[in-house]
Amino acid sequence: MAATHEITVDADDAEQARDAVDAAIADVLRIEAKYSRYRDDSVTTAINRAAGLREVAIDAETAALLRYADHCHALSRGHFDITSGVLRRAWDFRSASPRVPDAAEVEALRALVGWEHVQWSGEAVRLELHGMEIDFGGIGKEYAADRAATILQERGIAHALVNLGGDLRAVGGQQGGAPWRIGIRHPRRPASAVVASVDVSDGAIATSGDAERYFEKDGRRYCHLLDACTGMPVSAWQAISVAAPLAVVAGSCSTIAMLLESEAAAFLESQAVAWLGVDANGTLHGTLAQ
Amino acid sequence: MAATRGPRPGALLAAALTLPGVVPQAVAQSVPDTGYIQFKYLDYRDWQPGARRMRVENPGLFVLKPLSESLVIEGSLVYDGMSGASPLYFNALSGASGEGVTDYRSAGDVRLTKYFDRFSIGVGVAYSHERDYISRAGSIEVRTWTADKNRTYAFGFAGSADRISADEGAVQGERKNVLDFLFGITQVLSPTSIVQSNITYSRGHGYFTDPYKLLDNRPDHRRILAWLTRYNEHFPSRDGTLQLAYRYIDDSFGADSNMLEVAWVQPLPHGWSVRPSLRYYTQKSAFFYFGPPVGSGLRPGEPYTADTRLSAFGAWTPGILVAKQLDDGWSVDLKLEYYEQRGSWRLGGDGSEGLLPFSARWIQVGVTKTF
Repeated sequence: MAATHEITVDADDAEQARDAVDAAIADVLRIEAKYSRYRDDSVTTAINRAAGLREVAIDAETAALLRYADHCHALSRGHFDITSGVLRRAWDFRSASPRVPDAAEVEALRALVGWEHVQWSGEAVRLELHGMEIDFGGIGKEYAADRAATILQERGIAHALVNLGGDLRAVGGQQGGAPWRIGIRHPRRPASAVVASVDVSDGAIATSGDAERYFEKDGRRYCHLLDACTGMPVSAWQAISVAAPLAVVAGSCSTIAMLLESEAAAFLESQAVAWLGVDANGTLHGTLAQ
Repeated sequence: MAATRGPRPGALLAAALTLPGVVPQAVAQSVPDTGYIQFKYLDYRDWQPGARRMRVENPGLFVLKPLSESLVIEGSLVYDGMSGASPLYFNALSGASGEGVTDYRSAGDVRLTKYFDRFSIGVGVAYSHERDYISRAGSIEVRTWTADKNRTYAFGFAGSADRISADEGAVQGERKNVLDFLFGITQVLSPTSIVQSNITYSRGHGYFTDPYKLLDNRPDHRRILAWLTRYNEHFPSRDGTLQLAYRYIDDSFGADSNMLEVAWVQPLPHGWSVRPSLRYYTQKSAFFYFGPPVGSGLRPGEPYTADTRLSAFGAWTPGILVAKQLDDGWSVDLKLEYYEQRGSWRLGGDGSEGLLPFSARWIQVGVTKTF
């Protein structure tokens, strides 16, 4: 979660606010440490290390996240898959000289992608194939934002805005009744360029897009969002932003919609969320496009 | 397109709500982790057309303190000062505001609750004393909850032993004993709604008669079945909570009653909150109640009362509670309630005749410190 995180609290009691924010930050860091695939001691790393070898005991929180990932996989008809991270071995967006992998390379890795190869229950998880990996990248950060909002509320904070790297969860608007005004960035223009602004009192907004982690080769843009069914980067949309009651819903809806490409609008309508999409030509779509 | 025929609307939101901690949970059972001390002062008056009746001034002190992570003690001390035309006598009798009565009651109770992983046990004792009436009571309550704490069952048992001696009446050392059995379920329905339903069966025998009332003679057994259901729903879009309560009482005296209350709790900026409420109450008359004139319907050896509290009537109680959260765990609140009772307001039938409307008001101020 290497991005700007920010918690804004509107409260009269500074000490209470500081305590609540400290507790919320502590929980965000806890989730980051628990599920980061970059950390040696995380749950994710433990599960991935045991791939093809043995099952790993998990707690109720991890089981709940797996259950949610299972829903996302089913609703996206397999395009969203938390085992798709191995494709990054072919698609290296961090490399100084990125390249487009050949089809055989992608196909070889695709053999390690597949939620159907994950055996999981409420107590344990097992990745069947040696070399498989899972990661909670598409869910964990938004889940942390929702939990942070809950912690603030439980500590008496009635007005707050949690921003974890551009995924936002609002609580109770601002003091005095005004909603939080959230700007949605243009995916191609400088960070200050806003395509729309949305007023949110209680709810969340998350954006998924090709603005970060991509490379261009021979005039084509390859973004980090990889379709688990093809192993290829998606290209129908520059970005899709979703407004939903929870950040975790907004986040997974925007990611699934990006992966579904031409079926994004129908999927988002089926989930009864408000959305704004910028297609490959830069044209705006969605219920927030007015 | 396939995506349109597959998912159920909002399926992801429903799935996400099963993630732990993404929304504040309504939790049916948890150990209090903060204590409080609360002082309340109640000023009560009632009246009828042309006659002021009772006045009660009642300071009370309430304390709850966690002694450890699993042990909680709570207790209260109440002192009532009553004055006026008491005890309530016959409603339509002009002389009822005669020389008046002054009386005091002091009462206290202590309850200790121990929480275990999946259940809790609470034990309480209570004592109440006034010049003509002494009451001792003990209770035990066991609660148990499901692993997700979304459902709690409560089983309670209480017993009280009262002693009645009235200076003015020829009553000395009469006794009344009551046993109460309680069964309740609290169920979290969703992250924003919770329902609670309690059934209490009360069985008493002994002296139920009012020693100050002329000709009062009540049965020496009373069975009451009370069923109370509460439903709370929080509306995040309005930041407010709807509170509904319904109670049905089946009374072997015949004074069966229904009560419905609707309230809305609305937090406001700067720590304020308001709770407007409206309550409707209706009851049948006891089978041995006879209206004015006094003595009508009286048969030697048969139960008889002219106490208007056992007549058939309906009553409305509008009220408002205003509270303000202050710094450092302090809060203050003010509650105002107005009560009006009329025979003609009884639901589904005529009320008792010949009674004047009866009105009362409560003003209660409270100061609470949490720690």
